Amino acid sequence: MSYIEVDLVSKSFGDRVAINQLSLHIERSQRLVLFGPSGCGKTTVLRLLAGLEIPEQGSIRIDGRVVASAGKNLVPPEKRDLGMVFQDLALWPHMTVQQNLVFGLNARGVQKREGKVRVREMLQRVGLEHRIDAKPHQLSGGEQQRVALARALVSRPSILLMDEPLSSLDDERKRTIASDLLNLHSQFGFTLIYVTHDRSEADMMASRVCQMRDGRVAWQRSFTAGAVDHFDTF
Amino acid sequence: MGRPVKVENIVLWLCVACVAIAGLAPIAVMAVESVRHNGQFSLDYYRELISAAPFWPLLGNSIRLALATTAVCGFIGVPAGILFAKSDLPLRSGFMWLLTVPFVLPPYFVALGWARVVARIGTITSDWLFGFGGCVLVLSSVFLPITMLLTFTSILNVDRRLEEAARLTSGWPGVLRRVTLPLSAPGIVFSLVLVFLLAMGELSVPSFLRYPTLPVLSFTQFAASYNFGAATAAAVPLAAIAFVGVFAESAFIRDRDYTFRSTGQTLFVSLRHWKTPLATLMAALCFALVILPLSALFATAFSPPAMHEAMQRAGASVVRSVMYSAVAATILMALGFLLGHFMRGGRQRILSALTLALFAIPGTVLSIGLVRLWNTPGTWFIYATPALLILGYTAQYCAVTTRLSLAGLMLIPTSLDEAARLSGAMWARRLFRISIPLSTRTLVCAWLAGYILCLRDVPIALMTAPPGGDPLPARILTLMANGAPPMIASLCLIMAIASLIPLVILARVIPSRGIIE
Repeated sequence: MSYIEVDLVSKSFGDRVAINQLSLHIERSQRLVLFGPSGCGKTTVLRLLAGLEIPEQGSIRIDGRVVASAGKNLVPPEKRDLGMVFQDLALWPHMTVQQNLVFGLNARGVQKREGKVRVREMLQRVGLEHRIDAKPHQLSGGEQQRVALARALVSRPSILLMDEPLSSLDDERKRTIASDLLNLHSQFGFTLIYVTHDRSEADMMASRVCQMRDGRVAWQRSFTAGAVDHFDTF
Repeated sequence: MGRPVKVENIVLWLCVACVAIAGLAPIAVMAVESVRHNGQFSLDYYRELISAAPFWPLLGNSIRLALATTAVCGFIGVPAGILFAKSDLPLRSGFMWLLTVPFVLPPYFVALGWARVVARIGTITSDWLFGFGGCVLVLSSVFLPITMLLTFTSILNVDRRLEEAARLTSGWPGVLRRVTLPLSAPGIVFSLVLVFLLAMGELSVPSFLRYPTLPVLSFTQFAASYNFGAATAAAVPLAAIAFVGVFAESAFIRDRDYTFRSTGQTLFVSLRHWKTPLATLMAALCFALVILPLSALFATAFSPPAMHEAMQRAGASVVRSVMYSAVAATILMALGFLLGHFMRGGRQRILSALTLALFAIPGTVLSIGLVRLWNTPGTWFIYATPALLILGYTAQYCAVTTRLSLAGLMLIPTSLDEAARLSGAMWARRLFRISIPLSTRTLVCAWLAGYILCLRDVPIALMTAPPGGDPLPARILTLMANGAPPMIASLCLIMAIASLIPLVILARVIPSRGIIE
């Protein structure tokens, strides 16, 4: 049994079919990249896994527990033990960096003192401990990315979802943050599901790639480092 | 074991219950009352109403008045809104807020002002003012800001990039005609429907200017004869027209209600050599519709004896007005914000139609229903206290604070709430830690709008205030029968100041934005 199992899931928005009978099994600690052109359903898969959308057909299982099935969200997003980095980062503009990180810990009942320690530790890992009292608009683009990453990981989720998080950065920053992310992955061992339409990002992040087209997995392959350039069939 | 009930659903149903108790129950009771006579089902009231000589002419008068007012407001308000939103007209902000002044005052103030103007000119104009023409003039001045401000807001919300894309292939007239106006059409149509319904249900102006309409008949049946059945039967056609209007507006808006990703800036059209003529035209409009009647009204207001007498005879009403409006505005702000929050979460259609129908129903109709519902020995604690008035305000105006809140909430990216949800925060926590802190300006605007609307309201204040506890607009209307004109003018001035202070704050809260192309 795989850690995450998506079985024959479909999802439409009005007349448009976003996901069509999709089946996808993901192993624990895997780094899966969902790759494909705009509108192929990559983000919808993430949102279905997060519980932000409800599948019309099929079921989703996480760690052996059915979290959603045909028209029902059986486990709400806040109970799925996952973190997400949104495409627009979704940093709360009225909160400082620290408050952005503490928010989720408070919501999960982590003690105040322990929360502070974890926030500092996480900010150290992403190299932003000196920006703890800054507000999002006072940070550079790269710093904002790191805060979003730190916020998603501070509550130590077992799954991290990332929706084209590096799309707005230049190549050098992309490489730096991707390397930070891989370090964090090796430290925490979370399962990473990473959405992108950028081949170089897929190249950097993937241990397995699923190429999507018209709401289905068109092609998939597991990789060892350096083998990624074979996957593009478009 | 059953599914646990979510806090979110409990709060939603509490909000719906509030609206139902405040607005739907009175309307339902009133509808039932109108088809019961001596404890049995009967259509006698309707038969009497329809066969009575004045019904059809009065209905005709109401519709004629509403159509004419809507036409004038559309003809002036829509171009004014476009001009203020899209052009570099000098002093546009000042013109806009000046034209908004009549809307924040009780409608009969403008009528009273014009009565003072024509009293100085002579009897010929007086004949014209006291009739259909005068009613159209006054109601157009009062409701013009609705079309103007909603057109302004709708146009301001159009994504600048869509206009820029169109500018690559077309001049500004083409862009406005083919892109900006079609995208703003839902807001403009909504404003016209609103003006039609408000003019249709207006009581104080037709009654002051002696133009017989259906709301006047309904009010007379209620106040003079205390004949609930007949008053209700006269009010039901107004309620039916209000529901039809709301339904028509919803049908039009379906598939046309666009949501834009705001870029924070608006593309302005340079008027070039048209600047001065258009600014002069706007200044003339402001003078004719606002400055002339209001300066005539307030001309005698500043004498110390008049002010002293005004405070003596209605000082308590001033305090009551401010207090009742502040309490109602706070309830409206909270209720509107929660309803807006739920509407954003996908429960839009039913909540929108429900609140809008209550807003469109004339205040006289709602008040008759409220009195009928709560005037029982068991509910005396509501009927004989300001609670009834607050219920009336809540039902009538929650559509405004709901839509304002929804508009504000739409500007907050959904991902902020989703991120909080994935962080483990439950609904209440997300509401208090994310949505509310990010909506402080929206909440301030909603509170001020609620306060202004409650303060200027006449029919609900007149018909539901507890004995000896009437708010200022109702008190002034009562005193107008035998009070000295300077004293009435002073009271109007006090009322105007109480209304205009929040308007000034509102003007400061809403910043202007834009770049000139």
